[in-house]
Amino acid sequence: MTSQDFVRQATGLHAPNRGLSAVWRLLHTDPPLLLGIILLCGFGLFVLFSASGGDVAVVRRQALIMLAGLIVMFIVSQFSVYFFRRWAPSMYAAGLALLILVLFIGVETNGARSWLDLPGLPSFQPSEILKVVVPLMLAWYLASRPLPPRFKHLFWSAFMVLVPAGLIVVQNDTGTAIMVAMSGIFVVLLAGIRWRIVFSGVFAMLLASPAWYLFLAQEHQKNRILTFFDPYRDPTGAGYNIIQSQIAIGSGGLYGKGYGGGAQSHLDFIPESNTDFILAVLAEEFGLLGVLFLIALYLFVLSRGLYIAYAAKDMFSRLLAGSITLTFFLYVFINMAMVSGLVPVIGLPLPLISRGGTAIVTLFIGFGLLMSIHTHGRARSH
Amino acid sequence: MAGKWQLKDHEAEQRLFNRRLIVAASLVTLLFAALVVKLVDLQIYQYEYFSARADGNRLHSQYVPPLRGLIFDRNGELLADNQPIFNLTVVREQVVDMDATLGTLSQLVRITDDDIEQFKNRLRRSRVPYSSVPLRYVLSDAEQAKIAVNEHRLPGVAIEPQFVRSYPLGELTAHAIGYVSEINREELDALAEDERENYGGTNHIGKTGIERTYEELLHGTVGYEIVEKNNRGQIMRRLDRTDPVAGKNLTLHMDAQLQRAAEEALGDYRGAVVAIDPNTGGILAMVSKPAFDPNLFVTGISSRDYGALVTDEINTPLFDRTTNPYPPASTVKPFLGLAGLHSGLVDYTYTIEDPGYFRLPGVSYRWGDYTLRTALGGGHGHTDLMKAIYQSCDTFFYDLGYRMGIDNMHGFMSQFGFGDNFALDVAYARTGVLPSREWKMASRGEPWYPGDTINSSIGQGYMWATPLQLATAAAIIANKGTVVQPRMLKAVEGDAYEPLIEDAVPDVMLSDPDYWRYIEDAMTMVVHRPYGAFRDYGTAYEAIAMPDKDMAYKMAGKSGSAQVVSISQDILKSEDIEVSDLNKDHGLFISFAPAQNHLITPQIAVAVFVENGESGGKVAGPIAKAATDTYLLDILEIDFPALEAAGSDRFITQADD
Repeated sequence: MTSQDFVRQATGLHAPNRGLSAVWRLLHTDPPLLLGIILLCGFGLFVLFSASGGDVAVVRRQALIMLAGLIVMFIVSQFSVYFFRRWAPSMYAAGLALLILVLFIGVETNGARSWLDLPGLPSFQPSEILKVVVPLMLAWYLASRPLPPRFKHLFWSAFMVLVPAGLIVVQNDTGTAIMVAMSGIFVVLLAGIRWRIVFSGVFAMLLASPAWYLFLAQEHQKNRILTFFDPYRDPTGAGYNIIQSQIAIGSGGLYGKGYGGGAQSHLDFIPESNTDFILAVLAEEFGLLGVLFLIALYLFVLSRGLYIAYAAKDMFSRLLAGSITLTFFLYVFINMAMVSGLVPVIGLPLPLISRGGTAIVTLFIGFGLLMSIHTHGRARSH
Repeated sequence: MAGKWQLKDHEAEQRLFNRRLIVAASLVTLLFAALVVKLVDLQIYQYEYFSARADGNRLHSQYVPPLRGLIFDRNGELLADNQPIFNLTVVREQVVDMDATLGTLSQLVRITDDDIEQFKNRLRRSRVPYSSVPLRYVLSDAEQAKIAVNEHRLPGVAIEPQFVRSYPLGELTAHAIGYVSEINREELDALAEDERENYGGTNHIGKTGIERTYEELLHGTVGYEIVEKNNRGQIMRRLDRTDPVAGKNLTLHMDAQLQRAAEEALGDYRGAVVAIDPNTGGILAMVSKPAFDPNLFVTGISSRDYGALVTDEINTPLFDRTTNPYPPASTVKPFLGLAGLHSGLVDYTYTIEDPGYFRLPGVSYRWGDYTLRTALGGGHGHTDLMKAIYQSCDTFFYDLGYRMGIDNMHGFMSQFGFGDNFALDVAYARTGVLPSREWKMASRGEPWYPGDTINSSIGQGYMWATPLQLATAAAIIANKGTVVQPRMLKAVEGDAYEPLIEDAVPDVMLSDPDYWRYIEDAMTMVVHRPYGAFRDYGTAYEAIAMPDKDMAYKMAGKSGSAQVVSISQDILKSEDIEVSDLNKDHGLFISFAPAQNHLITPQIAVAVFVENGESGGKVAGPIAKAATDTYLLDILEIDFPALEAAGSDRFITQADD
């Protein structure tokens, strides 16, 4: 008995009803992960209803997107993970091709030229696809190489990460570029890259950061960093968001002001209260307990993701599952940390809670991959 | 490829991966822990602070201005009203870019540089944060619509209703009622701490006239309310409220009908009319002409309009002629006559032989008789006090004044309010000058010369009195010495107002009360003594009693023609008006009526001042007559023939009330 088998039996999640468990397997759906996702979605819709000021249309649209996401997740999970491994290089190439296409015929929204409006298709962001494709590609590449990866492999890995990231930076969407890069970097980290290389990399970045700040950083980026250290240098301008957000969170206290009772959000003091700053609404209305509940939900989903990575049968699946889970975590953490003032403001939504569009579907593709990893090929081993 | 696969050690790689997974899980836990620590700090340890900040964000205490008390005339006609207007206001704290906002606004509605300058002045005043500051008053409906449509582009801009003063009678009451206007820095600083609080919600304060005198009564007490505002400053809820207390409604003694009649009687002349009810001291009319539209000042007069008012040196519309002094000229003669009788310097039989001039003993200079500046020359001849009054003989009074001396003259005249302000609530009225040795030494640094007394005895020289003072003095004669101090305020909120009088002015006591009757007779002759012998008729007979053959009542009066003392060279150079007009004498007239009536006491005392009117008797007299007619016949509707017929069984002392 391998250690995975032991854990699987010890958790007893499948033990009580073998018949039901077989049905779930047939559907290629992981019940705990699905439960966590649905709970998060439900809580998210609940908070959004209040944050949007009781706007049913907003909530209905979000629910429909989530439903579409669940369907996409279900479809993705029907494919064996080997299918994705086989097609990883092709999908990566296609993703790069779309990114290059964006350079020429991309549509600009909110300052980022990242949308593609192809005839016959709904408009979408190729950079979203890369969030899935880059870890797929890296996992494909490194899983078939001896681990820890050699320097040569690391070099090519870096190449595979930096090319799409660079193309997205050119689109003027640094946030997404960083997240795409991180999803690839997580694969490399999990593949066992030597710590000394990691630390030297981090050290080099620290050394380079002053130069970046002085020569490369754009004005709004500098502003965000200065504001992070002192929000009150411009309380009605750059610092307004974070100040109002902290007031909302802090005034929520332990128990919150009650559902729909958040004065900060309902009197429009919180900017972006439906999207990036929705945590402030939650924290104001449900207090610390509400935030802890949300963190618990996230932790549940994350631990299930990490468990799937741990229990996966081969290195490709492990790396992919680990990267998807950690990228999900990164979103959660960066958003929560920025809204509470722990890190500078970076425009990232709170997964499954913030109002959003295609980015939500991307998340569900990731969940679909996790389910695929966990439910394919098992039947044969038992 | 095969070689690579052989190189892989799957067990070792899985262990490596699992270790990395553990590191990742630990990092996830650690970072979440850090997040929780931060949240605990915000939500538990700093809860009080942020809670207060959240309340500070949304809760605003704001003033609720009280409604200003209304002002009515004695018959309930509105003299000062409150009307709603819509103002464009700005909350500075909510405006992102003030210049851009002002630029946008000026494209939507008419905003002059003047408006912007005044707005910036208002901003500079210390104000409650997040309070709205008016940028432009009185928006039209169309302008309101334009602002409303563009509201989303104009954070911090709002349209607020406000009640402001309006003066329905406009120019007619401009000086007496005065006006309210925006409170300025100095006025705000002059207020006591709690009073300043009271003006928190008010932009206006009484600047002149009644509005200023009774500011405390009219203003009321400010209210407060706590409101919840959203981030655009819109009020979402009202949470707590202390209602303001409206100002008191005031009723004046003033009679708008009489005020109108007096203004019309002045015609095209510049001048003043003051009418007093001798029985109550109530000021019935107080007209200064030309005047200005007080409504212009309420919402901030434009500098162009204001400039037009202050640069008009001839009409000086802002100058209140009722409370500013002029030489009283011959109108002082009845008072000097009383002084002469009281001190025994003259009696009913005392006469002089008037050559038409007066000469001080040992001085060659001749003081001519101004009333005889005609080609005729000569004097009044055989003249007693009565004739000296109805013929206005200067020579008689030169002699009397000289013998009386300035000290006695000052002492006696001051009992009638000359050189003083007897009015209870017209504090801004000037006191004029009742000259004395002390006064001259103090103000001129010169001793008193006998010649000064001669000039003073015909109300020229240093002697200056306001139309209000002249009416007051006339009322005292009408009352036979009883002093009822003049007053504007009749009632507060409908309850008769009893002013608190400290140091009440004592009544005038004469050595023989019959002297009052004598002077009343003399003054009645001024108006009613017809043409008979040469230079033996009343100076105002031709203008007053002669045209009105059936005059129902008798009027006692005294004319005066004051020499114009000085005219500025600028005005003399002016081409707008004939220079000769500005050199003309000022015409004055004082009167009371009905006179010589044993059934009814005098009901009205009037003083008329006509700038460059030339003749007191001919120009000012008819104006006094017109005002008196209106009051006695139209307003009080006294039926004199019926009264006469009813005889002494009906004795009216006070026709109204």
